[in-house]
Amino acid sequence: MEKFIKQLLVFGIFTVASYFVLLVFWGEFVPAAYTKNLNYSLGAYGHMYTRTREAEKHEKVDILFIGSSHAYRGFDTRIAASYGYKSFNLGSSAQTPVQTKLLLDQYLDQLSPKILIYEVYPYTFTNDGVESSLDIIANDRIDWNALQMAFTINNIKTYNSLAYGCYRKIFNRDKKFTENTVIAEDRYIPGGFVERKITANGPVVNGEKKAAWQPKDYQLNAFEKIIELVKKKGIKLMLVQAPVTSSAFAMYTDNNKIDSFFSKKATYYNFNKLLSLSDSAHFYNKDHLNQVGVKIFNDSLFIKLLKK
Amino acid sequence: MFFNSIDFAIFLPVVFVLYWFVTKNSLKLQNILLLVASYFFYACWDYRFLFLLIFSTLLDYFTGIKMGQSEDPRRRRFWFWLSVIVNLGFLGVFKYYNFFAESFAQSLSLLGIKTNFWVLQVILPVGISFYTFHGLSYVIDIYKRRISPEKNFIEYSVFVSFFPLLVAGPIERATHLLPQVKQKRFFDYTKAVDGLRQILWGLFKKIVIADNCAEYANNIFNNASGYSGSTLVLGALFFTFQIYCDFSGYSDIALGTARLFGIDLLRNFAFPYFSRDIAEFWRRWHISLSTWFRDYLYIPLGGSKGGTWMKIRNTFIIFLVSGFWHGANWTFIVWGALNAFYFLPSMLLNKNRDNLGSVAAGKLFPSLRELFNMVLTFALTVFAWIFFRAENLQHAGSYIRKIFSTSLLNKPDKAAFASTQNNIGIMALLVVFFIVIEWLGREQQYAIATFGIKWPRLLRWSFYSFLVFLMCMYMSTSGSAFIYFQF
Repeated sequence: MEKFIKQLLVFGIFTVASYFVLLVFWGEFVPAAYTKNLNYSLGAYGHMYTRTREAEKHEKVDILFIGSSHAYRGFDTRIAASYGYKSFNLGSSAQTPVQTKLLLDQYLDQLSPKILIYEVYPYTFTNDGVESSLDIIANDRIDWNALQMAFTINNIKTYNSLAYGCYRKIFNRDKKFTENTVIAEDRYIPGGFVERKITANGPVVNGEKKAAWQPKDYQLNAFEKIIELVKKKGIKLMLVQAPVTSSAFAMYTDNNKIDSFFSKKATYYNFNKLLSLSDSAHFYNKDHLNQVGVKIFNDSLFIKLLKK
Repeated sequence: MFFNSIDFAIFLPVVFVLYWFVTKNSLKLQNILLLVASYFFYACWDYRFLFLLIFSTLLDYFTGIKMGQSEDPRRRRFWFWLSVIVNLGFLGVFKYYNFFAESFAQSLSLLGIKTNFWVLQVILPVGISFYTFHGLSYVIDIYKRRISPEKNFIEYSVFVSFFPLLVAGPIERATHLLPQVKQKRFFDYTKAVDGLRQILWGLFKKIVIADNCAEYANNIFNNASGYSGSTLVLGALFFTFQIYCDFSGYSDIALGTARLFGIDLLRNFAFPYFSRDIAEFWRRWHISLSTWFRDYLYIPLGGSKGGTWMKIRNTFIIFLVSGFWHGANWTFIVWGALNAFYFLPSMLLNKNRDNLGSVAAGKLFPSLRELFNMVLTFALTVFAWIFFRAENLQHAGSYIRKIFSTSLLNKPDKAAFASTQNNIGIMALLVVFFIVIEWLGREQQYAIATFGIKWPRLLRWSFYSFLVFLMCMYMSTSGSAFIYFQF
């Protein structure tokens, strides 16, 4: 038995070491299409690489925006400035509460906002958070908070990408990477906002009705911790549902339940109900506003903020 | 608690350590530990059905003792039938009631009679088909005076409920497992290492091959009407690998886990896709069920001792019952009947025992004839699996019609493979890797039982580590339950 346990331990160590070697080999030499559970995409969709580099050097702000793509495509820091607010946008693609918590742990003290405007797309609460974790691992720094996020999500893709990301960062393998300010039709605006060139939405395509809103426990847990953290720091919190096309909003389920849930947590606005926007004139796709829509949405938001 | 879950990865070492370190000096304590662990394992599935398992265990235990105590044939018959009827009654209610009720209502509606049967809204207790058959074999063996009843309730309960085999077999026999449960067990290094190796291969089959093939198979079977015949052939092939790797992978993990506790379970698979005829396939596929039906149904019915018609009748009965055992759906019955048709020619020509050994034994490659026979048998099996996988007979019919349409000559549809997270090229490489390893190990108990056993340790461990890496790199993150849990 003693021999068995000893051999098992030695084999375990050998396997872990071999695993890292193979992981690095796969990451370096095998094309991304063939590395199913390893996804390390620098500068992936949404300019997260540029955003985090800017956030690291950014000074204190009045408003910090955070949330999913609705946040970094919906809250224009230039419009905030026109209302007299210094702001930064820390939104990222498919960001779920687990990633929001991570980003706040990393940047909240440094950016030290007076107000946190948190875009709460309800279906990020039902998401496993894997996609967003991969985006953040590749494009943000890897620290204890990132490890905690990986344990929370508990998915092999996240673990693999985190381990490979550690290697990339330790050996400074990303130093030559630069992200263009303009990628396809997206332009990164200093402060974290991403402006889309196209201004009109295509024909409306009716999707399927979404399933009943059942948030994952660990997302709810992360959300509660965010609320607690923000309260502890004495930061004003505003929860916002950014507008989507009326056809997309019609596919949501449990809207009353969702509104009731968020309104109990902090000041909450559901702009799908507060604004009357045109699906074709104010959006560039079913989920995201074009610049005309962003202006209307932001004006409405900052007027509410000024009133408060 | 799936074998391929984090929960099991914690549960197994805990039980292992308690078993070999805390209770090692007492067989009684070891068995109590195994029983408690087994009930906990089962309760993790659904604690509400634990009572059913315990009731079934108690019933067979007491009827066994009553049969053993009595010499009166009538009393023995009474206890025997009580056990059989109650056991099959539970199985019938939970598994088959809705099927019979709906089929009967449909038959009456064809005659213009409208009926409204009460349909049970119950879930199938996991493992009921397996532990019912464990118990039945025990009761039948006592009734036939092949074994004496077990007096020790703990030991009998461990035989029925031993967690590695509890939810999907192998279907054990009292003559094989009970003596091991009653015997003092000593830790055997070689056996334990072999168990771990078998678990490793089983996991690879399940989480890399079966689960990834399932993504393609599910997509193609669920959207069959939109795809070409050639795509549907690939869908059937994916399901063929899925079901083998899923079930044999499960069995490997079960057997390997049992070996860690010093217990040998019955072998369930012996490389069935390398069979040269259907009879050989059935000697190599789900062996514990096939031999159960042979011993407790086929032979009592007269086996192949009677005339030709008796042979045909018995063959059909055993295959139809085997199909029906899998589930309450006509697709399983047709699958069983189709296999009976496949089986008949070799049986009638007395060629069903032509291929008893391993194909190309001692050689690297098969002969052309062996290769042809293997491919033909494999093709027949793939065709039969279409019925097994289809939702219903209409689905199977339309699937097969589409295969035998002109679209069979079209290129496979890219859309069928684009909707999963897999890369079809990598998937094909993994399947080829798997087939090569299985082929090289086909004369062993499982594919990697002796693979690289003579290599230097570093090289051998590198191979095992590579398997671990492939699992983590290519496992399906969507995951899926073991197919046979539903049976």
